[in-house]
This record gives sequence, C-alpha cells and structure tokens, in this order.
Amino acid sequence: MITNKLNYISLFGGESDNALEQLNSSTFPTRKEEEWKYAPLKKLKKIPFINHSEFNVQNLNSFNLPSTSGIIIVLENGKLNPNLSKLFSLKGLEVSFISNSKEKNSYSNNLKGNDYFSLLNSSYLTEGITLKVSAGIVIEETINILNISSCDNCLINTRLDVLLSKNSALHIKQYFLGKSSTKNGFINHINNFSIQQNSSLALDKFQDLNENFNISNDRINQDRSSKFISNTFTCSGLFTKNNIVNNVEGENCHSELNGVFTPSYNEHIDNHTLINHLVPNCQSFENYKGIVKGNGVGVFNGKVVVHENAQKIEAFQKNNNILLDNDAVIYSKPELEIYADDVKCSHGSTTGQFNLDSIFYLRSRGISLKKAKELMILGFINEVIQKCNDLDFQDFIIDSLLKN
Amino acid sequence: MKELLVEIKDLECKIGDQKILNGLNLQVNKGEVHAIMGPNGSGKSTLSSVLAGNDHYEVTNGSINFLGEDITEISPEERSWKGLFLAFQYPVEIPGVSNINFLRTALNEKNKFHGKSPIPAKHFLKMVADKSALVGLDNKLKNRSVNEGFSGGEKKRNEIFQMAMLNPKLSILDETDSGLDIDALKIVASGVNKLKSSENATIVITHYQRLLDYIVPDFVHVLHEGRIIKTGDKNLALELEKKGYDWLKIDSLN
Repeated sequence: MITNKLNYISLFGGESDNALEQLNSSTFPTRKEEEWKYAPLKKLKKIPFINHSEFNVQNLNSFNLPSTSGIIIVLENGKLNPNLSKLFSLKGLEVSFISNSKEKNSYSNNLKGNDYFSLLNSSYLTEGITLKVSAGIVIEETINILNISSCDNCLINTRLDVLLSKNSALHIKQYFLGKSSTKNGFINHINNFSIQQNSSLALDKFQDLNENFNISNDRINQDRSSKFISNTFTCSGLFTKNNIVNNVEGENCHSELNGVFTPSYNEHIDNHTLINHLVPNCQSFENYKGIVKGNGVGVFNGKVVVHENAQKIEAFQKNNNILLDNDAVIYSKPELEIYADDVKCSHGSTTGQFNLDSIFYLRSRGISLKKAKELMILGFINEVIQKCNDLDFQDFIIDSLLKN
Repeated sequence: MKELLVEIKDLECKIGDQKILNGLNLQVNKGEVHAIMGPNGSGKSTLSSVLAGNDHYEVTNGSINFLGEDITEISPEERSWKGLFLAFQYPVEIPGVSNINFLRTALNEKNKFHGKSPIPAKHFLKMVADKSALVGLDNKLKNRSVNEGFSGGEKKRNEIFQMAMLNPKLSILDETDSGLDIDALKIVASGVNKLKSSENATIVITHYQRLLDYIVPDFVHVLHEGRIIKTGDKNLALELEKKGYDWLKIDSLN
C-alpha cells in the first residue's frame, strides 16, 4: 500500500479523519476491477513515495510553453512556487489556497469520491486551489495552473475547486508536467467544478508527464443552461489516467469532452469518462483521438448514461484511434446506457493504421514520408485541436504531440 | 534535336507472385505526348504506379531513367522533386488535411530539395489563384480537406490543378477521363494543353479514344500483357476505337 511506505506530512498532519478512516479501510485497486482493468498498477505500487518541499525548477523555459497571459499559478511538487507564479487580483475572481484556509477540514470532509486515489488525495492533500467567480462576471484573462513534478518518487496530492456563480464564465489552462529528468513522481489530482446557471467553463488540460505518473479525478456538476467544455491533450507519461465524471443536473446544458492522447514506448494513457444526463433537454458531445506508438497502451472508456425521464437528450460519442506500430495497443469501449425513450444518441469507435494509399498520394506530391505521416496525424486530430480558441496554444499542442 | 526525358528499359514488375509488367520499353522525349491504351488488366495503371514509385509493386528487372539518372530505386517524393507527376485515376480523400496546407507543404519540400527558400505566403496564394483558374476549380474547394466530398469531376480537376502548381517535367495522367462528363473533360484537357511546353512531356493512359480528341498524342502505344505490342500515331487510336484490341493480340502472337 502506498501509504504504508509514506512518511508523510500532509496539510492536515495526516489526520484528515474522515478521509483517512475510509482510506485505511479501502484496498489498493486491482486489475480485477473494471475501472482499472488495463492499468499498470504494479508500477505505481512499487514506488517508495516520499514528500518533498524544495523547488528544483528555476524557470519554465525548458517546458517550451506557449506564450501565457493572465494569472499563472505554479505548484511544484504540490507547493506554490511564488517565483514562477504570477498572481494578481481580478474583479469578481477570488483565488485562495487551502493551506491558508481557516476551514481546512471543510475540504477534507467534503469528499468528492470514495475511490482509492480520491481518498488518498483527501487524506494527504499537499495543496488545493480554489477559484470562485462572482455572479455576472466573465473573466477574460486565462487562468493558467501548472502542476509540476520535479522530484523523484514524490507523491503530490493536489486539488482544484472551481465555483462559477450564476451568469459567469472562466477559461482555465491546466498543465500537468513532469520535469524531463525526474522519475516516478506521482501527481494525484482532483478537479472539482461546480457550474451554476447560465455559466460557462472551458478547461484545456495539457499533460506531459515524461517518466512520472498522473491520475486526475475530475468531477463536474452543471446547473441549468450551463456550458462545460473540456479538451484534454495527453502527450506523454509513464501512466496517466483521467477520470471525468460530468453530472448534468440542470436542463438546457451543453457538455463537451474532447481529447487527444499519444502513448508512446512503455507509456499508458487512460481516459475514463462518464456523462450523467439526469435531466431532459441537454446535449453532450465527446470526441477522443488516440495515436499509439511503439508498445504504448491507450485506453478510452466513455460512458453516457441517460437517466429515466431525461427526455430529448442528444448525446454523441466518438473515439478514433491510429496504431503506428505492431506492438501498439488500444482498448476502446464506448458505452451508452439509456433509460429514457425520446433521445438521440450515438457512439462509435474505430481503430486502424495509416492508410497506405493516402501516404503514397502525399509522397507522390513530393511530401517526404515523415512529413506525410505528420500531415496525416494533423488531419486526424485537427477537429479536436480546433476546439481550442487560442492559436498559440494550438501550435504548442501540435508541436508537443508530434515530438512524441 | 530531340532531348530524351524518360527511358524505360525491359521493365518487369510483380505484385505478390503475379507478374504484371513483362519487359516494357518506352522512350519519351521532351515536348511529346504519348498515349498508352490497352484492354483491362494489360498493366496500364501498374505502369503509372511503378513510374511514380509505389512500393506496393516490386520491380524485378529493367530500369527507369529520368533525365539521365536511374530512378528505379528512389522514393516517390524524390521522383516528384525531380519533376515527375502522377495524376491519379482514383485521387485519395484525406480528411482533416486542407488542400492549401497540403500543397504548400509539397511546394516547400520541393524547394528545400532544390536548395530554395520556402515560398512566401503572398506569392503562393497568387499562384493558387492563377492555377486554379486554369481548370476552373471552385475557390471553396481549395480550403476543404484534400478531395474530401469532391465530386468525380472536381477530383480530376484538383489533380490537374496540383500538376499546374508543381510544374512537372513528366506528367502521367492515369485515366483522367474516367468519371468525367464531356464538359469537364474539355476543361481538364484544355488545362493539360495549356501546361504543355517544349520542356515537358505527358503520358496519357486511357481506355477510350475520346480524350485523345482533346489531348492530341504524338504517339499511341498499345499495352498488352505487360508489354507494348504496337506503336503508331494518333490514327492508331481511331482504329482501336473501331476494331477493338483483339486483332492486335492475334497479330502479336504471330
């Protein structure tokens, strides 16, 4: 068990009673559980995790990030690195850190999941960020949140809580980064978003973990007429798993979950999504593209549940994958569970290799084999890349995905 | 004085265990138009694929010489950089890759090979406008994905548009007339004719004589069982239209 080896000083002194109690009585997940069927948990289990509070990153140059404007919050090994961060006040936005909060226990007791890693997170939280947007406020500036692992074997439990009050809007770019020389760091993260009436939240998530682990448990609750768009780009990582649970609790909502993931040699990238349509008259769209190289493993498990009485739901789900090499593996499982009778839903999954006729066509026009493959990949992921409005960020994503 | 552009010598090739080209010889000089005709399965499309460097086919004997250089073993992209172009019988649809981006990449890769700098955006767009007018290609199509959702005629026009952009020395038109109505055929043929010069040459592969009314050949070759069994001038095509191929097959046996 991870925590047995852990001499851990958490925010709560390791005494976050409610969570810890539950954690101690729960067991480390195994591959027998559907949720973890394909995950290389052994690797994770073997690491003797430590906690660490020193900063090793002098500047962000080595990450080649796109030009960033707006607020920048850098958590390095779970601690706020003030030298790399850029915090300023914006009207209608409240930024706070759980480490400064007087009501720490209200967070730990406000459990948002009882799976092993959520409990681990709540029990041994390193730091949490809370963003609150006041009613009627549209935040024009992007909020950039960087979560960096820069220390070998470091366990990092972080959390982001976002509350959008009525009629507000926010755009977050969230980066999970593994310093290139760092091995076996583990960022165990929770995103907890609450989107009230008529509000809109856009999340661009970028994950480039190199030889580190990352699990992100995202829970989104949407109230009436709200909008949530999440674009997840996962370039690299020993083991990266995104669990997104999107509860649509109010009518006339729009939800979009998009992603591109490119596992390469010895990497495992896993996307589990669940959209719960609890009420009528909502739309959801899901589009994930996987490109698997070497002996990499990609997983897409997307589930849409249309609950009883949730009529007039439109839910579309799509997962397309390209396997670049013979040893590349993809597990794709689109699921639809429908308990209402007046809905429009579809799901589909394809997995294939490069079309050799297309490659020959491009080469016959003087495009080199390497460039031809790049163009094909770009063509393949283009519709997801286009979901990001920021052109600099699009270029950055493309460069990052192609380099892998 | 005729200048040799391409010389195909004793070319043999197979796909799997099946031999398709069977000792094919052909010489094309600059400024010439050659038509290759022949019944189904005679190897016409294979010849065009092999010339363009499709490694689906294995060349087992013979050589292809292009401007004095043996290109039998070089990659399709390098053949293109050197000035070879194949207009496909069935142009491939490539979703997500815009026509413009594709062409710009193609031109820049060619420039790179010849040690030239990338083409400036303004110059490129002007060129696109000029060359697409040549075949009446709809402006909207240029920004769409390569051939995606194009009609049969639009795909063929797009091939000739690409040909105009890349300005090849040798163009091979593989059944460019298939799937074209008579008006589109005229437009495509006039595009090809406008691109003709004393410095380049064209090989037209076709089933029907009709295309040759518009792209007039200097030579007509008949391909049968992977080799050229008869060569004549444009009148040979008219004769084939009337009599079919069977009389030639018997001739070649004798």
